[in-house]
Amino acid sequence: MERAVPLAVPLGQAEVFQALQRLHMTIFSQSVSPCGKFLAAGNNYGQIAIFSLSAALSSEAKEESKKPVVTFQAHDGPVYSMVSTDRHLLSAGDGEVKAWLWVEVLKKGCKELWHRQPPYRTSLEVPEINALLLVPKENSLILAGGDCQLHTMDLETGTFTRALRGHTDYIHCLALRERSPEVLSGGEDGAVRLWDLRTAKEVQTIEVYKHEVSETLGPVRCRPAVCGGGPALTLWHLRSSTPTTIFPMRAPQKHVTFYQDLPPPSGQGCCVNQWQLSGELKAQVPGSSPGLLSLSLNQQPAAPECKVLTAAGNSCRVDVFTNLGYRAFSLSF
Amino acid sequence: MHHLKPQKTFTPYPGPLSLPPQEGKYYSEEAEVDLRDPGRDYELYKYTCQELQRLMAEIQDLKSRGGKDMAIEIEERRIQSCVHFMTLKKLNRLAHIRLKKGRDQTHEAKQKVDAYHLQLQNLLYEVMHLQKEITKCLEFKSKHEEIDLVSLEEFYNEAPPDISKAEVTMGDPHQQTLARLDWELEQRKRLADKYRECLSNKEKILKEIEVKKEYLSSLQPRLNSIMQASLPVQEYLFMPFDQAHKQYETARHLPPPLYVLFVQATAYGQACDKTLSVAIEGSVDEAKALFKPPEDSQDDESDSDAEEEQTTKRRRPTLGVQLDDKRKEMLKRHPLSVMFDLKCKDDSVLHLTFYYLMNLNIMTVKAKVTTATELITPISAGDLLSPDSVLSCLFPGDHGKKTPNPANQYQFDKVGILTLRDYVLDLGHPYLWVQKLGGLHFPKEQPQHTVIADHSLSASHMETTMKLLKTRVQSRLALHKQFASLEHGIVPVTSDCQYLFPAKVVSRLVKWVTIAHEDYMELHFTKDIVEVGLAGDTNLYYMALVERGTAKLQAAVVLNPGYSSIPPIFRLCLNWKGEKTNSNDDNIRAMESEVNVCYKELCGPRPSHQLLTNQLQRLCVLLDVYLETESHDDSVEGPKEFPQEKMCLRLFRGPSRMKPFKYNHPQGFFSHR
Repeated sequence: MERAVPLAVPLGQAEVFQALQRLHMTIFSQSVSPCGKFLAAGNNYGQIAIFSLSAALSSEAKEESKKPVVTFQAHDGPVYSMVSTDRHLLSAGDGEVKAWLWVEVLKKGCKELWHRQPPYRTSLEVPEINALLLVPKENSLILAGGDCQLHTMDLETGTFTRALRGHTDYIHCLALRERSPEVLSGGEDGAVRLWDLRTAKEVQTIEVYKHEVSETLGPVRCRPAVCGGGPALTLWHLRSSTPTTIFPMRAPQKHVTFYQDLPPPSGQGCCVNQWQLSGELKAQVPGSSPGLLSLSLNQQPAAPECKVLTAAGNSCRVDVFTNLGYRAFSLSF
Repeated sequence: MHHLKPQKTFTPYPGPLSLPPQEGKYYSEEAEVDLRDPGRDYELYKYTCQELQRLMAEIQDLKSRGGKDMAIEIEERRIQSCVHFMTLKKLNRLAHIRLKKGRDQTHEAKQKVDAYHLQLQNLLYEVMHLQKEITKCLEFKSKHEEIDLVSLEEFYNEAPPDISKAEVTMGDPHQQTLARLDWELEQRKRLADKYRECLSNKEKILKEIEVKKEYLSSLQPRLNSIMQASLPVQEYLFMPFDQAHKQYETARHLPPPLYVLFVQATAYGQACDKTLSVAIEGSVDEAKALFKPPEDSQDDESDSDAEEEQTTKRRRPTLGVQLDDKRKEMLKRHPLSVMFDLKCKDDSVLHLTFYYLMNLNIMTVKAKVTTATELITPISAGDLLSPDSVLSCLFPGDHGKKTPNPANQYQFDKVGILTLRDYVLDLGHPYLWVQKLGGLHFPKEQPQHTVIADHSLSASHMETTMKLLKTRVQSRLALHKQFASLEHGIVPVTSDCQYLFPAKVVSRLVKWVTIAHEDYMELHFTKDIVEVGLAGDTNLYYMALVERGTAKLQAAVVLNPGYSSIPPIFRLCLNWKGEKTNSNDDNIRAMESEVNVCYKELCGPRPSHQLLTNQLQRLCVLLDVYLETESHDDSVEGPKEFPQEKMCLRLFRGPSRMKPFKYNHPQGFFSHR
């Protein structure tokens, strides 16, 4: 394919630095606003950008609609995970979690509502927080990351109630089981552990693989849980702790979400893959980033016109998929 | 022939006939005519005709009756009719005579009338002539009326009484005019005298002036000799007035932009920066020749035209040669140029020569760097100090290959010049900052008819430009030195930058070469840099190779001319257990980020000439960390190729499982950002 010759724009020091930053940007996390019209994306420089999905998806969308409405410096380190409640945006990165009001966030120069740091044991290096999980029944937030523990924080009081220990290496991801108050966590140690929130104890352990990681877990609906990473993407049957389907993809799968009860689209390399339950690949759509790290599905009932899948990863762009057959366009930092 | 005898006539018919009293002896019927009454003659005629008719009728009668005795009566009547015939003849004669007389009289009268008429005409003609003469005389303007005489009051006031003769002239206008004319004549004579006097005065004064001029001109060489004599004193006191004076003399012949440049630079050099020295080079005579008066050139032209006509008949110069000449004419430089010498701290000097292209109204510059000691140029540093590229992109985007004056494009089209780029080696580079220093401002939106050199524009840009030039030369020289070392495989890290790196660095730089711009664009791991537009053709490109054991790390480096304020950009490709680039390995991406994005830590002390070498050293350290923290593959037999020697708190962190690339000083361990 012919490569277009780029325009020669005189680049001063500031422009060169900005261009370099964008080239080396990684977007780790995304979160959709409660109204469903906005998407927040957090990158490795600690910035959070808010994109207006409704503007970008509307018929009069111009190039400016694909740029963030507002960008602000949220953390000193990378923003590894974000999650939204019905009024707040919670972001977590290097060791602390911060909360922002969605209403305030859209205005420039907003300040965080509060920030909290879970009690860490070591002080030599501040561990990162890789995953945030909301437990709506308890109105609490579960954080997990570099110190190999799951911390539970009460959202009303802000106190840390529990610390669940059991992983031997740092935790990548969390998932909540719908029927019973159980939390799954996948870690670098290659194991997926189930925890009972009421008893605060580990209930089950699934050794996915001895070595590699499971990148993320799909939000578990009934029995199956999907584990990515490792040598392959696998669908597990939880009760019996056996794999039901192994999807034939090369490692590593970075992110997986469930979509309409079908096995989820997963990001691998630069493609978003859609699977059948039987293990066949239904569709594979290339994205614009060389490696995808975060997939987000906008299923907010308040904004059905913004029901899209957004994918982000090793670049400054967020791909928007209106249907899973092709990539509609990309938002960009 | 018998003359008519005077004889008596008898008139047988009744009627008184009176004969005129005759004086002479002959009979004149003419005289008789006068006496007779024409009316009575007419009656006689009628009577005679009647008688004749009667007689004829009687004769007829008688003849018709016939008879012998009739003959006598006929005879009688015949005789009577003969007499009547004779009367008729006489009457006829008389009528004729009367007619003739009448005619003669008429003729006479006519002649008289004609004569009178002629007289009348003559007289009329004379009258007319006289009238004309009179009018002429009346219209005659005497010259004296054309003379503007002074007004009457003035005349009476000024004229001496013997001329004005008031008593006489007041009454008599003729005398008055005469007097006035006299006065006029008098005055004119006086004025003529005055004029002659003044002329002679003027001559005198002119002569005096000549004398004085000669005196002054004899003074000039004496002054010169005094100046010469004072030169050693000037030098002794470090006040080179003479030199400066000469400079200013030559500066008068500079074209306006060069003049602005010269003035501003000298002012700046004297006021702020002693390391800048300005001089003017070139031929003043040629500069003067540019402004030759047109008459001379016209003569030349006519001569040359005649010559040309001759030559064209013999041989026409080819179209290409003609076009070439036109191009040369368009790109002609002004014979004078301004030279800058900028001395930098380490005794290296940047020589800049500024030229002015007259027809294009732009300025160009040629640069040269000389160092105190002879430089051995390493192979990769060929372009660093080359005159063509040493000043490239002093300001972002100012590559100096295109003419900054938008009006030049139309001029170029006429002579078939595509772009100035082909001629810059010869003419010098038309950088935008050069135009600004010459006070020339070409607004992009509307091309102006004439752009004039503006002092304030030059003054506002002088200081920044000089500083940038010095920084540029020094950074290039620093790079020069560093390249010499890099080509030998040694990364020269200065002592004040040692703290950025751990004590032990195992990976080594084995190769450092320049690569061409096209080669850089062809590399498979540099595509994202090219797409963003950071790899233009004004940059310099290098390839470094870092090795440790079996691992080979290729680094493609983009060196922006604005180094070191604009950092070099690295793209990596690691060959070890497969090929890893930023598209398939996140850690390679993180290494690039460490070197490219976090460059500010690596700048070192100002003026941050150590940036490139520090970046290369960091690259070696990063490779060490990468190789040592790579998890061991159990399927392969044997120990790890690179045992972990670096102190790391954690090997992996974050959802993308990054390696610890950040070096912490002075504790000496590696952590994540």
